[in-house]
Amino acid sequence: MDSASNLQRQSPARTSGEPNVNSLLPTTASSQPDSDLAVKIRGLNYYFGRGDLRKQVLYDINLDLPRGQIVIMTGPSGSGKTTLLTLIGALRSAREGSLRVLEREIIGLANHQLVEVRRNIGFIFQAHNLFESLTAVQNVEMAVELVGQFKDKRSQATAILDQIGLGNRVKYKPEALSGGQKQRVAIARALVNQPQLILADEPTAALDKKSGRDVVTLMQTLAREQNRTILMVTHDNRILDVAHRIINLVDGRLESDENLAQFVKTHDPKALDRRMFIL
Amino acid sequence: MLQRTPLALLNLTHDRRKFVTSLAGVAFAVLLMFLFTGFKNALYDSQLQLLTKLNGEIVMINRLKSNMFVPIAFARRRLYQARSFEGVEAAYALYTSDANWQNPETQKTRPVRVLAFNLADPVLPLPEVVAHLETLQLPNTALIDTRARAEVGPTEAGIITQLADREIRIVGTFNLGTDFASGNGNLIMSDQNFLRYFANRGPTEDERSFATADIGLIKLKPGVDAAQLALILSENLPNDVLILPRDGPQGFVMRERQYWEENTNIGFVFSLLTAMSFVVGIILVYQILYTDIADHWKEYATLKAMGYTNWFLLGIVVQESLFLSVLGFLPGACVSVLLYQGAGNATGLLFQLTVRRVINILILTFVMCLVSAVIAVRKVQATDPAEVFS
Repeated sequence: MDSASNLQRQSPARTSGEPNVNSLLPTTASSQPDSDLAVKIRGLNYYFGRGDLRKQVLYDINLDLPRGQIVIMTGPSGSGKTTLLTLIGALRSAREGSLRVLEREIIGLANHQLVEVRRNIGFIFQAHNLFESLTAVQNVEMAVELVGQFKDKRSQATAILDQIGLGNRVKYKPEALSGGQKQRVAIARALVNQPQLILADEPTAALDKKSGRDVVTLMQTLAREQNRTILMVTHDNRILDVAHRIINLVDGRLESDENLAQFVKTHDPKALDRRMFIL
Repeated sequence: MLQRTPLALLNLTHDRRKFVTSLAGVAFAVLLMFLFTGFKNALYDSQLQLLTKLNGEIVMINRLKSNMFVPIAFARRRLYQARSFEGVEAAYALYTSDANWQNPETQKTRPVRVLAFNLADPVLPLPEVVAHLETLQLPNTALIDTRARAEVGPTEAGIITQLADREIRIVGTFNLGTDFASGNGNLIMSDQNFLRYFANRGPTEDERSFATADIGLIKLKPGVDAAQLALILSENLPNDVLILPRDGPQGFVMRERQYWEENTNIGFVFSLLTAMSFVVGIILVYQILYTDIADHWKEYATLKAMGYTNWFLLGIVVQESLFLSVLGFLPGACVSVLLYQGAGNATGLLFQLTVRRVINILILTFVMCLVSAVIAVRKVQATDPAEVFS
């Protein structure tokens, strides 16, 4: 409980748990002050390969992610969603444009500087990627050790596992946990250091309906209570309702950026029917 | 108290069966290295086991006797001359000769080496020799080495057979071991009996008498420097004899060892085999580490995505390799001890396992595992954390 209140204290001094009204509106490239933005992208191009094989995968991306927002990114496969996610996560380095993550320009950073940036980001993957040889709490501790908190790593890790409802499973190894429980441990690992930005790639894809719902509800709570920014790539329509914004990436370009109501409207099956005739 | 999560150890031991197989692999490589260096050392050490037991700080031999194989004797009066020097307590003669020994069971003859000396002189003060001094004075008696090769037949008191076509009675045993020059084993007898067998062996063999000795032993008074006195003796005695201190880097024992090191391929052959075992070990450990990395590469890539550096992952792999080397070394060394005993009993060679040799192999094992780790870690460093997202 001690560290839970810690989480609260360290989050930016925004008194209302809700993101402000402004941030609920589409803000692909707004003029908000930089300190309110977890991610600010301007004119980002990205290419795979080099020489004759060079192929552009992202075209002139402009995107702002204000703090406290949950943003879902959708799009057909091959549209560059994952590439954009890994660029924001400082897992790849781009050369063209501007990419500010947590108020730090990461274009042109050296490898070891990218590692520094990554320590402030929580990653959640489609697969849980937990070490089978470590217990749940040890897997979470691996993240705590990263910031050098050796003394109270056990209490921190236990606290966050408690928080996500796995308090009675701390000493279990992954093989003794269900799929949903494993994914929750992975989320605990991503969140234990209280990152301001959380990047998730299909976090519910391997889960059944109820576990998936539990996982996103957990993420929603965190975003609201601790003002975290969450960028999630997903094809899972069942969880779209947690998003403040839904952005759609097609062929490496930002196709649309809508709030949930707009998204539902444009993706209404009846509306779709009419478009099909046009095509 | 509790520091880092021992990820390396836990990953290594998570799958018990794989862990045991891995250790068996490392232990096997260690065993091979022990075995080959063991044979190399045994072949060298065995040449010296008789020489180091001779009772005399200074050794006198014929200058032409470049190694124990050469059957050239020197004039025994040189020993008497040496006695007159200041600091010399006594000088003893040791007579050696090769002779055919008839295996009492198969009746086949095998060459053995006979060591003979005046029983009044403590030339070879082995406890078994001292115990049998009286019975050795009887004609046609000898002691036999229990570590003689199996071709000699049973080695026990009471055996009556033929040595150099003449009856011999074994009145006891001693424990020495074989070397290149000893043929299939050693016998010890009195100088009187030596004359009985070898004074007149027919026209094709050299006649032996007390006028010549094969190895002279010079016993010093307490506190006399052997190297210095050996120098004085060499300067003052005729140079048909070579006078050396027994021990030391320039000594008689080292000279014999050097002869075998420089004139045989033992060192090359067994060093090559040891090197091969070392390489096999590297490949084995590399396989083990590589499999661990390949099995866990998504997890390792996740660690990299979380912000762990390549150095940390290098540390994990190096730790795993060190655990493997230590934990694999112990069973390997234990089995080697048993094998040394078995091989020593079968060949009569001297298998010595000194602390230094054990440490040498341990260091070799460390290096083996570290090299594997460095090769294997390139795989981890090449893992692109971005790939975890696909």
